[in-house]
Amino acid sequence: MTACPCPLSWETLVDYWAGDLPPAEADRLDEHLFGCDTCAQVSTRVASVTEALRDLLPPALSRARLNALRATGLRLRENAFSPGERRVVVFGDDTDLLVHRLAGLDLNGADHVSLQVVVESTGERLVVVDAVPFEREEGAVLIACQRHFASLPADTRFELAIHPLGSQGAPARAVYTILHQYPPAKVGGPPP
Amino acid sequence: MTAATAHGSAGWRTPWTPGTAIVTPSWRACYGRASMDAPDAQLIRTIAAAGRDARLAEAELCRRFAPRIYLYGRRHLRDEERARDLVQAVLLAVLQAARAGRVAEPEHADRFVLGTCRHLASRVRSTAARDVPVDPGLLETVESSAPWTTWNEARADAGALVRCLAALDERSRQVVMLSFQDECPADEIASRLAMTAGHVRVSRHRAVAALRRCLESRAATAPEVAQ
Repeated sequence: MTACPCPLSWETLVDYWAGDLPPAEADRLDEHLFGCDTCAQVSTRVASVTEALRDLLPPALSRARLNALRATGLRLRENAFSPGERRVVVFGDDTDLLVHRLAGLDLNGADHVSLQVVVESTGERLVVVDAVPFEREEGAVLIACQRHFASLPADTRFELAIHPLGSQGAPARAVYTILHQYPPAKVGGPPP
Repeated sequence: MTAATAHGSAGWRTPWTPGTAIVTPSWRACYGRASMDAPDAQLIRTIAAAGRDARLAEAELCRRFAPRIYLYGRRHLRDEERARDLVQAVLLAVLQAARAGRVAEPEHADRFVLGTCRHLASRVRSTAARDVPVDPGLLETVESSAPWTTWNEARADAGALVRCLAALDERSRQVVMLSFQDECPADEIASRLAMTAGHVRVSRHRAVAALRRCLESRAATAPEVAQ
């Protein structure tokens, strides 16, 4: 492979994959990438991150978004948890997306709800989000657990802070501990 | 592409002529190491000549272009399945054109393939572009070039990505999530986060580079996970 005489910069390629270039410049990049091995390889490295980010579901989803995912044919399984509960859940072969319904919350006076996901055994913070979607009427926050999170530690503590409207008073807190189990894939079975 | 642009159509170093065996034993795996060192133009002409090496030339052309078409599809169609459909539709169209001698400028095969991508991408968005009867042998050649197997190996592990995201500072994390999950342009992110658009771009490319480094570092040190 011969080096490119005018290699595209990492910055330009990130803008390209973000869809943030003027159309004429994006067209010019398409042409360059079709004819240049060097830049196509760098573009693949950028895309391996940006497209994985796109494929990642946010940690908490609204009920409407879950319903839309279900409508696409995704097999969802929902488990309800009460504050303080600590329980094992199994990510079965018949499930594409596990939904943890963190329930038992009084969200009537909530302004926003923040979420922190911590590994129970190590204290490692996996997720910190200032404001997640919440279901006021259901009194719940819906957590989306994707199968490819199997590489994460199994013991996770979900910590919610419910911030009241008008910044009155301290946030109410609720903690749920969920121990994930992923059965080994069946040999010769369908791909996950 | 490869040989044609790397060495120039007249100056490539290892001329390949039809009938010469420059094919690896595993050429049927198709998406592997280069099985021929011929420029694209020569592959196109070999396919048009329909001689005994035509099938090998077709397989090599698919091997070269399938990854680019797939990336184009991912970029423009934003959908894994549609990107796969685009690869198949474009390769079938290109091979049919090459067989019929309809590639006007074989020296610019990459432009021909890109033009076909642009033309077919809009069809793939709305219809099943591959629902067209084709020669089963041609279909087999095209399908054996599947670039998504390599892509899936290269794609970031989601669990590792979650941890690498957690290692970013809050502002960088917001910028990448707004960019790639909410599809916000830089100027909109700038107004939401009280930054300039230029600062958003700098923050974004640094964050993507940091994520790439973090993922590579985790991949290099991670123990094998039992499946």
